Amino acid sequence: MTLKKTGIVFFPAFDWAISPTHPEREERLLYTRDQIFEEGVFDLPQILEYPPRLATLHDISRVHFCVPRVQSRITEAHLIAAGATMLLGDRIIAGEIKNGFALVRPPGHHAMRVVHGNRGFCNINNEAILVDYLRRRYGIKRVAIVDSDVHHGDGTQDIFYHDPDVLFISFHQDGRTIYPGSGFPNELGGPRAFAHTLNIPLPPGMTDETFHYVVDNLVLPVLKDFQPDFIINSAGQDNHYTDPLGSMRFTAQGYAEFTRKLNPHLAVLEGGYAIETALPYVNLGILLALAGVDFSNVREPDYWPGRLSENAERAAKVRQMVDQLREIWDGRDQVDVEKLFGTGRFYQRKKRIYYDTDYIDEEQLEKLRLCPSCPGFLIIDSRADHGFGHPTRACCVSVPFNACAACHQEAYDAYEEGKQTPGFQYVYLQDKATDVYYAFDREKGQEWVSEGPKNE
Amino acid sequence: MYIGVDVGGTYTDAVLLEKGRVRATAKVPTRTDLLSSLLEAFDKIIMQGFPTELIKKVVFSTTMITNLIAEKKYDRVGLLVMPGPGLCSSAYNFPADTRIVSGAIDYRGREIVPVDLAGVDQALTGFAAKNLRKIAIVGKFSSRNNAHEVQVEKHVQKKFPDWHCEVGHKVAGQLNFPRRVISTYLAAATREKYQNFIRSVQEALAKRQITAPVFILKADGGTLPLSYSSETAIETIFSGPAASTLGVQALTPAGETSVVVDIGGTTTDLALILSGVPLLSSKGARVNGYLTHVRTLAVKSVPIGGDSAVDRVGRDIIVYSERVGQPYCLGGPVPTPTDALRVLGLVMLGDGERAGEAMRMLGEPLGISNEEVAGRIISFVCDTIAREIRLMFAQWEQEPAYRVWEVLQKKKVRPNTVVGVGGGAAGLITQIAARLGASPIIPPYAPVANAIGAAVARPTLQASLRADTEQGTYTILEEGYQDQLPAEHFDEGKAVELAKNWLFKRITRYGLEKDLKEVEVTRREVFNVVRDWVTVGRLYDVVVQSQRGITYHVGIEVNEDDA
Repeated sequence: MTLKKTGIVFFPAFDWAISPTHPEREERLLYTRDQIFEEGVFDLPQILEYPPRLATLHDISRVHFCVPRVQSRITEAHLIAAGATMLLGDRIIAGEIKNGFALVRPPGHHAMRVVHGNRGFCNINNEAILVDYLRRRYGIKRVAIVDSDVHHGDGTQDIFYHDPDVLFISFHQDGRTIYPGSGFPNELGGPRAFAHTLNIPLPPGMTDETFHYVVDNLVLPVLKDFQPDFIINSAGQDNHYTDPLGSMRFTAQGYAEFTRKLNPHLAVLEGGYAIETALPYVNLGILLALAGVDFSNVREPDYWPGRLSENAERAAKVRQMVDQLREIWDGRDQVDVEKLFGTGRFYQRKKRIYYDTDYIDEEQLEKLRLCPSCPGFLIIDSRADHGFGHPTRACCVSVPFNACAACHQEAYDAYEEGKQTPGFQYVYLQDKATDVYYAFDREKGQEWVSEGPKNE
Repeated sequence: MYIGVDVGGTYTDAVLLEKGRVRATAKVPTRTDLLSSLLEAFDKIIMQGFPTELIKKVVFSTTMITNLIAEKKYDRVGLLVMPGPGLCSSAYNFPADTRIVSGAIDYRGREIVPVDLAGVDQALTGFAAKNLRKIAIVGKFSSRNNAHEVQVEKHVQKKFPDWHCEVGHKVAGQLNFPRRVISTYLAAATREKYQNFIRSVQEALAKRQITAPVFILKADGGTLPLSYSSETAIETIFSGPAASTLGVQALTPAGETSVVVDIGGTTTDLALILSGVPLLSSKGARVNGYLTHVRTLAVKSVPIGGDSAVDRVGRDIIVYSERVGQPYCLGGPVPTPTDALRVLGLVMLGDGERAGEAMRMLGEPLGISNEEVAGRIISFVCDTIAREIRLMFAQWEQEPAYRVWEVLQKKKVRPNTVVGVGGGAAGLITQIAARLGASPIIPPYAPVANAIGAAVARPTLQASLRADTEQGTYTILEEGYQDQLPAEHFDEGKAVELAKNWLFKRITRYGLEKDLKEVEVTRREVFNVVRDWVTVGRLYDVVVQSQRGITYHVGIEVNEDDA
């Protein structure tokens, strides 16, 4: 048997920034480039570098409702970052590489299903676009996403909240102390996907010790039970002890060791803004760990063993929370869903979403059809206030991959009904089952249909 | 008039060009006594009594260093490396006695760990015990700050004044520590032998009263004055393929996108010319399995040629990648593609009867005619070469891209012409071109295209500046030079100016003011250094180089004074 390599797409987007002094700017991966190029790791026989490719607007429509259109919410850099992630997915499924690292910008894990603008430096969700692409193209069934960014991966959680085939686990700094202010243990997924979302908020100041306690006692055992066909790591690096936005104390060794244990098919870069003191070393550590190369000599210049310690009391609380979440996971099939979420044709919840980068306030009413024979379709009534009057209102209907015929029909009816409702400026239908995406613009009186590339 | 000389492993080729025309050519065997081969070649292209003052320049290309390395006939070298934290040293597999010394610099050139001089002493004692007198000293990120390498070099020179030291930042300034180690090691190992080569060349020129400036071709298709080339001897490895490619460029119309197919006895070398410009490899050359920083033209060697062995396997006729001996028609032991070409009348080499016999050996048991066997062999060879050409274009499209515009401008490019040089080209190139939908060309003087390429090559010099205004320092990659930035305001314009100054300084030192008037900026990158939302400095990466290209195209009359 030949030894399979680790694929990497390195796309630092040296000509793309949100704004000149924004943390998400041109030189974010400059020192990472210096480090990995100087180490000569792309010459290692275990590693294979690919150039990126572009995702299509169709691939994005499969996941997101971009208001008003996909092309008005993204730049080419976004298409490249998403495309790079998909390219590695293709190569892994083809058996050409054993795993991959999408070391790309811009990031994506704060981008939710409905996109009115940029939030948390993200416009579109690279991991979600990959997951739905793999399901559509290769029929991959079960996917797990483990988010190791210091910020809660609220976008990814939102997209898969009702999806029983996607397990989402996020550990992050406690939302009461950091953006986006969510990701608490009681956010466990919707009625059709209960306990398929698991959140472990960590008190500030936790070190590799607690990090690995969570990994060993919750993440790995849950993954073992779930038996995913594909594992993705949203590899944010802002839990690092030098990060300017986070207050955690993880190290490059901690991240590399986590990568080795998790052994994901694909790691996708998310946040991490200590561009000099953390990223060069954390990225090197993750890449070497994926490739099965000894990473024990990777360390930050100012690190020495015993430098970092954590509060024992807070650590004990985390251990308690891990035990409770473990119980919830183990008992997920015995839970009385009706008691938790109620009965009726629809389950509904209200959400308020704030776009910190673009100052947009969004209100959503999300309705899930509680279907006895499929995961059910979704209707989202979204109202976004851009701060200059005339809020935008959109109706978004999403049909899951394995929708039953009845839900399929009902969803199309809901779309037609939305088109007849004058309050909605934009109406969308996302039919994942047949891979066709509709967008209707009332003012222009026009409808667009995306059927994707022909002859694929 | 220009003279081009290509000193190959088997033959030394020479040409004399005058005003865009080939005046004389020569092909003589390369002997161990290099001087006698060079003199013989000179005598074939320059008649006795020829006024040698008319010769304006002489350019050599040589595979000497390549062959030295391949045959491991170089000097033993001790490696003293300072890798610091990062990849484990066990991941590096250097081909020499390697001593690791503590000391580390980071990507901005800041010291992380000071050099451990006691460790250096220990390493030197080890080298002395093994009778090693040549040392390569290389540190990680030494091109961002050479202080550690310089410190160690001084220490060695004080202790062992007669030892020879080679330092990494002077040999290869690009990022990639393992490649810098190998490059520095090879530079140390071949320096003395290369100086012998220079002496033979100078002696031959003196004996024939040639006083014109002498240059040596580098692997990237540019030339360097011979007398300065010992500073960068390893850049001459793989200048052979560069010579043929430049030769084809000179022998074909300007601006073509072509693939150069050099079909030899055992291998076929492929090179790409994109819109008239030979494609450079994005990474340094692989020398004997080791990756270096030596910049080369993108050349690919396919193990198939006119002497490849042909055999029957079941009902199939297969061409192997091995050479067993000469073609059958030249008295060799087994059938070869050359025999097939002879049977089809595409070459007129050797004994036609024996070529037919070779085809009969393969075809008789299958009941097929000699012509059909020959046709099948040629198809096999052409299919293989065409497939490799397609693959080469595909690989070129797969080059990494780190900027949005680079990704968006990627295009699919296919050759307009397939240009054949080398012995087997005549019979095969038409069929290869047909498979690629391109036009076949076999230029005149194809057998000495390499020497023509050397003759028309031009000097190329480059200066890469990296300035860090927060640290207040700058480095010039090619010179291994580093200094403080001037105290006054520094900006992008000043960065370009500083880089150009350094380039002109080098041009003057080499006496090339007349040849290199125009310089172009090939890279210009500015990154902000931001701390707490405030820009505290800038990083400038600027590369300037003299214009690339060839002196002229052969076949069009030109005034050499303007060239």
